[in-house]
Amino acid sequence: MTSTTETMFSTAPRRRSPAGSSWTLTIAVVVALLALLPLGFVLWATAATGWDTAIQLIFRGRVGELLTNTVLLILFTVPICTALALALAWLTERTDLPGARFWSWMAVAPLAVPAFVHSYAWVGMWPAINGLGAGVAISVVAYFPFLYLPISAAFRLLDPALEDQAASLGLAPFAVFRRVVLPQLRLALCGGALLIGLHLLAEYGLFAMIRFDTFTTAIIDQFQSTYNGVAAYMLALVLVLCCFVLLGIEAGLRGRRRYARLGPGVARHVKIAKLGAWKYLLLLLPIATAAFSLGIPALTIARWLIAGGWSIWNVSEVGLALWQTLVICLIGGLATTAAAVPIAWLSIRRPTRASRFLEGCYYLASSMPGVVVALALVTVTVRAILPLYQTVATIVLAYVVMFLPRALVSLRASIAQVPVELEHTAASLGRSPGNALWSTTVRLAAPGAAAGVALSSLGIMNELTATQMLAPNGTRTLAMAFWALTSEIDYAGAAPYAVLMVVFSMPLTWLLHHQSKKIAGR
Amino acid sequence: MKTSSLLAGVALAISFIAASSPASAQVKDSITIYNAQHEGLTKEWAQAFTEETGIAVTIRNGSDLEIGNQIVQEGANSPADVFLTENSPAMALVDGKGLFAPVDQATLDQVPDGFKAGNGHWVGVAARSTVFAYDKRKLNEGTLPKSMLDLAKPEWKGRWTASPSGADFQAIVGALLQLKGEEATAAWLKAMKENSTSIRGNSTAMKAVNAGQFEGALIYHYYWAGDQAKTGENSNNVLLHYFKNQDPGAFVSISGGGVLASSKHKEQAQAFLKWVTGKGGQKVLRDGTSFEYAVGKGEASNKALIPLADLQAPKVEPSTLNNAKVTDMMTAAGLL
Amino acid sequence: MTLLQLTSLRKNYGSVAALDGVTLSVPAGSRTAIVGPSGCGKTTLLRLVAGFDQPDNGTITFDGQVLADGSSHVPAHKRGIGIVAQDGCLFPHLTVLQNIGFGMTEDRAAKEASAAELMSMVGLDRAMLARKPDQLSGGQQQRVALARALARKPRLMLLDEPFSALDTGLRAATRKAVTDVLSAAGITTLLVTHDQGEALAFADQVAVMRAGKFAQVGSPRDVYSRPVDPATAAFLGEAIVLPAEIADGRAQSPLGLLQVDDLGYRGRADILLRPEQISVVAEGEGTAGTISEINFCGPTSDARIALGEGFSFRLDIPSREMLLPGDAVKIGVSGKAHVFR
Repeated sequence: MTSTTETMFSTAPRRRSPAGSSWTLTIAVVVALLALLPLGFVLWATAATGWDTAIQLIFRGRVGELLTNTVLLILFTVPICTALALALAWLTERTDLPGARFWSWMAVAPLAVPAFVHSYAWVGMWPAINGLGAGVAISVVAYFPFLYLPISAAFRLLDPALEDQAASLGLAPFAVFRRVVLPQLRLALCGGALLIGLHLLAEYGLFAMIRFDTFTTAIIDQFQSTYNGVAAYMLALVLVLCCFVLLGIEAGLRGRRRYARLGPGVARHVKIAKLGAWKYLLLLLPIATAAFSLGIPALTIARWLIAGGWSIWNVSEVGLALWQTLVICLIGGLATTAAAVPIAWLSIRRPTRASRFLEGCYYLASSMPGVVVALALVTVTVRAILPLYQTVATIVLAYVVMFLPRALVSLRASIAQVPVELEHTAASLGRSPGNALWSTTVRLAAPGAAAGVALSSLGIMNELTATQMLAPNGTRTLAMAFWALTSEIDYAGAAPYAVLMVVFSMPLTWLLHHQSKKIAGR
Repeated sequence: MKTSSLLAGVALAISFIAASSPASAQVKDSITIYNAQHEGLTKEWAQAFTEETGIAVTIRNGSDLEIGNQIVQEGANSPADVFLTENSPAMALVDGKGLFAPVDQATLDQVPDGFKAGNGHWVGVAARSTVFAYDKRKLNEGTLPKSMLDLAKPEWKGRWTASPSGADFQAIVGALLQLKGEEATAAWLKAMKENSTSIRGNSTAMKAVNAGQFEGALIYHYYWAGDQAKTGENSNNVLLHYFKNQDPGAFVSISGGGVLASSKHKEQAQAFLKWVTGKGGQKVLRDGTSFEYAVGKGEASNKALIPLADLQAPKVEPSTLNNAKVTDMMTAAGLL
Repeated sequence: MTLLQLTSLRKNYGSVAALDGVTLSVPAGSRTAIVGPSGCGKTTLLRLVAGFDQPDNGTITFDGQVLADGSSHVPAHKRGIGIVAQDGCLFPHLTVLQNIGFGMTEDRAAKEASAAELMSMVGLDRAMLARKPDQLSGGQQQRVALARALARKPRLMLLDEPFSALDTGLRAATRKAVTDVLSAAGITTLLVTHDQGEALAFADQVAVMRAGKFAQVGSPRDVYSRPVDPATAAFLGEAIVLPAEIADGRAQSPLGLLQVDDLGYRGRADILLRPEQISVVAEGEGTAGTISEINFCGPTSDARIALGEGFSFRLDIPSREMLLPGDAVKIGVSGKAHVFR
């Protein structure tokens, strides 16, 4: 395999490992260290605070209240989301529900509406709603697609022969669902539920608007009172611990095994359950879901747009916010994807324990709430690396930390589809390893990279917490402008920003849906 | 293809950084304002100021203490030239660290005593009064609290709301601390945790009263007038109760402005403060939609407001309001 | 006694007729193989019997009970019919023990006892009970699948190409093991396969299927040596079909005068010879022919042999004759030729 050019031009004998591989690893390690910075910061801050103060700030009534709120929120929201997503996925994937394809889109579309816009819409509809009940209800409509996506994809992948087999072993349809289908959906269920749990921990705008206090809202309160005080650090520590608890629960429930299809059998087209007369009753579920998750935002926004008339469309301000948002989304998306390239390539081409460990680091880092990431970067830059303070570079780093897995998933899938033999062939035709990589794998993985840029951009566009805390002077993204206006209950003035966020998120959401179908087998 | 898109991204990034970072503040006639005042008000000021003087203004928005603490952290490297607040404590915080340059005498002369820091390091730019915004369907002259301190009594349990996470409220607590001492303030905060419901934002608190969720809210006066001037949708069931009688609840909070000692555009920054406290800036307060009180000598406030002189506010020294103590006490009371 | 009776079954998928009127009797205790090329409808037939799909028309009767008749339908889980699928279809999330115990209603201890017994019945080590399916080889998976289906003590077992995914050597051994187990248990079996050798070796009754219909149903010997038409003949094995003039149990053909299995027929017809009936030697008795092409393949050589009048046929001949293209040979025929009437 060692090419003649290599022996001719290199003075020292080289090992099999191609040049570039070690560089790639180095870059991947550096990115991982940067990604773990917030986590390290929280640990450092705790240590620096000292035990007495830390204990005093952690073991107090307020933290207990927040913990109760957070636990109740998760305990209600996640199971309801699971039941709803499961029912919708079954109806759209496995039954002859009229318009199943349409309802499938309707079940993903709420992702185009940022969580805090959902909240804005509900408050516009029912001004008095507040507290746990409202938090759960809005969280469900805002986040259930995170479960719907993987569950419906998993439904498509299930081998229907297994269900036939279970029936032939004497199981009635519901028992088949419980004993055969559900266990195979476990990965999708666990993954989606974890994602929702992490979003619940990290979300600010949704809960702030309906005055339901969580750790994140409390940290922001502290931030607004003291910038980066010790009390905020300690709340962040507890929040990070909550994330770890969720990650641990998920790891325990998921088990270590992936359920691949056994044997080379060909997947038969799935059996579609005939709903008969039930279909009209069951149709109410997707209709009601769409009414709450899409109808309410649409109605409220439309109402405020009409009430506000032309005067709320201050073209220079709205236009500037849109332009700045698009630019920052593009920069953030490109940076995130670029940062994901080394680890994506390593995990496919050189899967070692080290690369798996690195990958785990990225996922762990991205599960840290935006408020923690931002708090860490604000403190580190203002105290230690002042030239980076309040710069685009810092906010982009925050986005990289938060959204890298989105780009990684897309890249991995597309790199995996490029046979390594193409690289070898290019090398045998005289290209250097780097050049061979560039002219084959990189070119062919470009669609995946584009999807990675798009998906991380979607996250950036709807990100509020970290953006508010880290934005460079004079920056005003759509989300920031929207939030500033709703904070002064100028709901009409905020409507144009909500519309723009939704409109620009839609194609990206479509892409997400499309991609989940494609890479469901991962 | 990838190379070109990357290059395009880098080019965009550079143009973006150039457009928005402190680097642009080095253009000669340009200042950066760290703004904790209402965005709308500061924007109005800035636009009118730029029109008159040609000095461009970049605004970073935040809340009083967030930005105050931020400036302290940034120290000598702060990109800010001017700091504007809604309340005095954040001004006191920054001044306490010696980060303000003295305000030009001409500017100080435009504002009466009591509305500026005694040492001349910052100046009042506007003022707001504490009020009890109440649901007129539920309360009347006879049943309203006589003093803000009454809200700590058990009979007020569950009936009122406030926004303790905001700097506005924390300024009120700061005044209470200065007027009644630490012990009384701690007791009052403890009772408040029991009695009141916390809402984020004064306007949201008023909206909740309007919607009948609470009988009253301890907020500032201008939210009501502002809403009435628009649609009244969030305030038509609400009236304002001024405590008067030098009660802690009659506290008038002074919004401050100062020039940072680290500023590289002091001249322009001083010009801005002079303009804001002068005819132009105070006219914006009188004729605009902010409904905050004008503080300039001889400058009348908006006609819709009870004159500042009639509020019987307690005498509070704005430059010594201690917000660090307040947040500690509120954290201890479980309000933060 | 007939255990399973299929009568005029029809099933369409859209406009395509997967089953176009299928009738079959499966005697109790017998082994029936349904053989046909892929896409002929044999898997559809099996799915109808299992209850995974419903026929559009026709009836399925099992042990006197109507399972499906085009309108009503007994669901799969109430039929008590076992099935072993092509790839075993083990539940990937369960252990071998849980797979075998999946359809059993007994308590845990009884499940474990029967599972252990079934494991030895299908020739697997009990130690494997704790494994997950992906830790088993293909042949082992198939045996577990059989054990799992046997656990329910079905009266009819459906085998859906259960050996096709296995390597050649393993295939024969697994097939033998499965046949033995099913015979010992006296379970009626319906095998679906595209492998004619497998069908002939396994069954008492073979049904040859083509385009949604049975071309022929009969004993393995019968369908092999007396196929109904040249296509069936070719599907079941190498076939040499020659035109002939038949009278009085003899046929005049390019291979000379041959005995035929049809004493009554007179006139022109095609006749069938199987390669094992034909011997080719350089020197000796028989019809004269010429090697027109020959490819050495080890023990045998693949030869094309030209007869007079432009006829030729292909045949594997022993390589020891060392024949070359153009060599003259003598062709001998033993046994009777089959007449396609």
